[in-house]
Amino acid sequence: MEQTVYPLAAMVGQKTFRQGLLLAAVNPAIGGILVRGEKGTAKSTMVRALAALLPDIPVVRNCAFSCSPEPGADRCPDCRLRFPQLETTIRRARLVNLPLNVTEDRVAGGIDFPRSLQRGKVVFSPGLLASAHRGLLYVDEVNLLDDHIVDLILDAAASGENRVEREGISFRHPARFILVGTMNPEEGELRPQLLDRFGLCLEMAGAKELEERVELMERRDAYDLNQDGFCGEYQAATDQLAHRIAQARALLPKVRIGANLRGFIGELGRENNVAGHRADLVMEQAAKALAALEGRLEVSAEHVRVVAPLVLIHRRRDAQPPQPPPPEPPEPQPPEDQPETPDQDQPQPEQNQEENQQPQEREAQSPEQQPQAENQEQPSEQEAREEPSENQEQQAANNRDEQLFEVGPAFKVKPLTAVKDRIVRRGSGRRSRSRISQKKGRYVKSSLQTNNDIALDATLRAAAPYQRQRACDDGLAVHLTRQDLRGKIREKRIGNFLLFVVDASGSMGARGRMAASKGAVMSLLLDAYQKRDRVGMITFRRNEAFVNLPPTTSVDTAGRLLAEMPVGGRTPLSAGLAKSHEQVRNYLIRNPTAQPIVILITDGKCNVALGERKPVEESLHLASALSRDGRIRTIVVDTEEAGLVTFGLAQRLAGALEAQYFKIDDLKAEALVNIVRGQQQ
Amino acid sequence: MNIRPIYPFTAIVGQDKMKLALMLNVINPGLSGVLIRGEKGTAKSTAVRALADILPEIPVFVDDPYQLDPNEEYDSYLDIRRSLQLAPPEPGKQPQVGMRKVRVVELPVGATEDRVVGTLDLEHALKKGEKRVEPGILAQAHRNILYVDEVNLLDDHVVDVLLDSAAMGVNTIEREGISFTHPARFTLVGTMNPEEGELRPQLLDRFGLCVNIEGIQAAKDRVAIMERRAAFDLDPEGFAAQWTAESTALADRLLIARALYPQVQVERPLLFEIAQYCLDVGVDGHRGDIIMLKTAKTLAAFDGRTETESADVQTAAELVLPHRVRRQPLMEIADNIQGLRKRALAAH
Repeated sequence: MEQTVYPLAAMVGQKTFRQGLLLAAVNPAIGGILVRGEKGTAKSTMVRALAALLPDIPVVRNCAFSCSPEPGADRCPDCRLRFPQLETTIRRARLVNLPLNVTEDRVAGGIDFPRSLQRGKVVFSPGLLASAHRGLLYVDEVNLLDDHIVDLILDAAASGENRVEREGISFRHPARFILVGTMNPEEGELRPQLLDRFGLCLEMAGAKELEERVELMERRDAYDLNQDGFCGEYQAATDQLAHRIAQARALLPKVRIGANLRGFIGELGRENNVAGHRADLVMEQAAKALAALEGRLEVSAEHVRVVAPLVLIHRRRDAQPPQPPPPEPPEPQPPEDQPETPDQDQPQPEQNQEENQQPQEREAQSPEQQPQAENQEQPSEQEAREEPSENQEQQAANNRDEQLFEVGPAFKVKPLTAVKDRIVRRGSGRRSRSRISQKKGRYVKSSLQTNNDIALDATLRAAAPYQRQRACDDGLAVHLTRQDLRGKIREKRIGNFLLFVVDASGSMGARGRMAASKGAVMSLLLDAYQKRDRVGMITFRRNEAFVNLPPTTSVDTAGRLLAEMPVGGRTPLSAGLAKSHEQVRNYLIRNPTAQPIVILITDGKCNVALGERKPVEESLHLASALSRDGRIRTIVVDTEEAGLVTFGLAQRLAGALEAQYFKIDDLKAEALVNIVRGQQQ
Repeated sequence: MNIRPIYPFTAIVGQDKMKLALMLNVINPGLSGVLIRGEKGTAKSTAVRALADILPEIPVFVDDPYQLDPNEEYDSYLDIRRSLQLAPPEPGKQPQVGMRKVRVVELPVGATEDRVVGTLDLEHALKKGEKRVEPGILAQAHRNILYVDEVNLLDDHVVDVLLDSAAMGVNTIEREGISFTHPARFTLVGTMNPEEGELRPQLLDRFGLCVNIEGIQAAKDRVAIMERRAAFDLDPEGFAAQWTAESTALADRLLIARALYPQVQVERPLLFEIAQYCLDVGVDGHRGDIIMLKTAKTLAAFDGRTETESADVQTAAELVLPHRVRRQPLMEIADNIQGLRKRALAAH
């Protein structure tokens, strides 16, 4: 069914994006494009427009695997047998869509149900990877795809071949395609391995210029009113673009790159600290493609410079932070040890809000720490934002306003796994294996219950012995009865996720509290590593919340971040809550039966609001919004000093969150683990 | 058995914004649907079901489960018959065509993916050894209205499927050994109670218009609601009959607007106004601009004009932008767009 596509030539703006698409079309060896951008930026539309421009390819007639008739090319078993007697025809390179609801057997191929029944033996039915061979495989919302489907595609993309070993089938066929994925980063990031497999990464954002926006509106409206007419207007431009691609493709094998430029590429890779060498290879291929598009036979430095950002943006890592010098315990100086001047009466502009809420401040001991920290905060406000990588400068700055606390002693934690049971769950994840009720997950065994998910191989095996008795001449090779039917049991991992939300404001820096909290977190991290749990960490201080660690199983990164986490500044609790909600929500989208636990370590004294309301009010409001999702369990660890006057803000917060509440003073590191364990049961 | 008449659309008290949003979508299905957000008991579901009253008629093939358009989609019709291995229509003889009212197809909350998308007709395959596709709800919804109640409680997989089809206008089935595509252009109308949680930003963006509604405050109107409902419950046919004249008048007005829409013009300065509005309040991408343009034109057509005016743009903004404004995750959806714009401009 031909669908009119909005022509690529009619697209407004987005020059980098268009160039990236052309590069991938010219040179499939680049290995695929990932398109990232906010919603409503025509990502999908443009990719489909590209597919319409791809040059035609010669194929073997009626071959479901799009085999090439060229000598020396890889072919499916059937075509291999018949070579060189192959009927050929020319057709357009195909665009294959991978819908989100796709099942594994449709991607890799599975049993051809009707033919198997007719012939009485298992016949292979090619999947989407077969149709996409020598074409374009388009995965919309690639970050929402099931992990095992993603693995399938990755494997094929990497090896150029699809191997199927399942349900009594053993088959392999070539599968080389341009992989294009789109994603909206709001819905969560991709795993780093998957990111690396995409050759180029193109970012898209909405246009800021008024003229551009108006132009875009006009064109879209014209297209919607009269699709064929609109495409007709741009036909000449479209043809020209297609011609350019075809010419560039022809020129590509002749393009040369000098050794010095290869050195340049290597240097770029090193400077940006990319993992592995794929970036270098891709950069070379992309530069060659660009040269070919421009009609040049020699790659120039300019070509490399132009493609470098597209290749590096999703692979660049921050430089490894130098190891912090061995025990230089930065002498945790609780602010109360510093000279306390009786200048609490001096109104500081930022404190006004705080003072409004906490009128007893002058008398209480603990809140005084905050103004002190803030006094020092001011001069450092102009300082460069700290990065974990710039430790040297940070040490100097830290001694002034921020404190670094070493991690308290770690310990071995008791096992926290969920027991593997027979409960059938829905969802996906990485931790405990669970039987799964939806038609997702690997087929592990068959059972007598059919639940709409028929296991054909087991069914046939069950029916086999009775075939002779049931034989009659209605044309069917196999006769099934109700009793023969067998259903599939599928298995998938269900995840567990611990999100630490740590208050890193100045008020936390007292009396080794920070060190103790860090110790507990570290221990849990170590345990999580062994159990392949996911952990994440969010800290909030000054004006915002930072996701220090998105859901990951990488404990060394977590450990490093933990050790270097600075403390100081005001308390943007609402921002911390909002950020944690965002992280947990994204996690739950992909793993609906996960049981995330949010561990909030704070004293509740927030003084920075996100919106118009007062900070405490706002944080309580957000907290009750958070508590609505019954899947999220929260623990609040109160770090407020026990003293004559306490504000109990963290307690109120725990109430609003419907969370378990603990004071850190009567909390040993072991106890924290028990609490978490208790929550998991 | 007599089917109980539906509560008439024109008999609903108040909630003008919601009614307007629904009517605009009837005039121009290209507006991509309405999301109705509101507390319980505000006639959300009643209004959508009542729409059936005032919907126009469309031509369809008789006994075609895929609701294809005989004028525009004849090729697709043939393609589908071929891929389903059904007999093609006899040469020279046209398949039967009839007129039928646009329907409101309901998607129940517990719907599973296979029921929505369509799947292999397993019984047929087992018995006859032939592949046959069982059309799903999306097939029924083509060129009709798909109504999803409690859209924020939908299963993620179903949501993804809806997103896909709503975006591209086709439904692709790639599962269990079948590969099948059919057109699926429907007007998506969703209702939800925000207390139960928000929608994913992507799904939110796919709804063209968004309306926040609350219970009516005026005592007079509350009394009217009670009276009318009581009258309806007592004698549904009689009550419905009382409102027939108004319903027919409204249906005609919508038909005229539908015919008028292709002729509506927009002056360039208004386009700039739209773009500026979107930039001021801060929206992601360009969908906001495009839909605002279409909505403004539809409003003009509804009013019987062929020239769009600035007032149309302002009204369109109220309907199109509230759910697109960029905001922090837990913050509420903007209620007053004009106010938001003023604040945003003042902040600069």
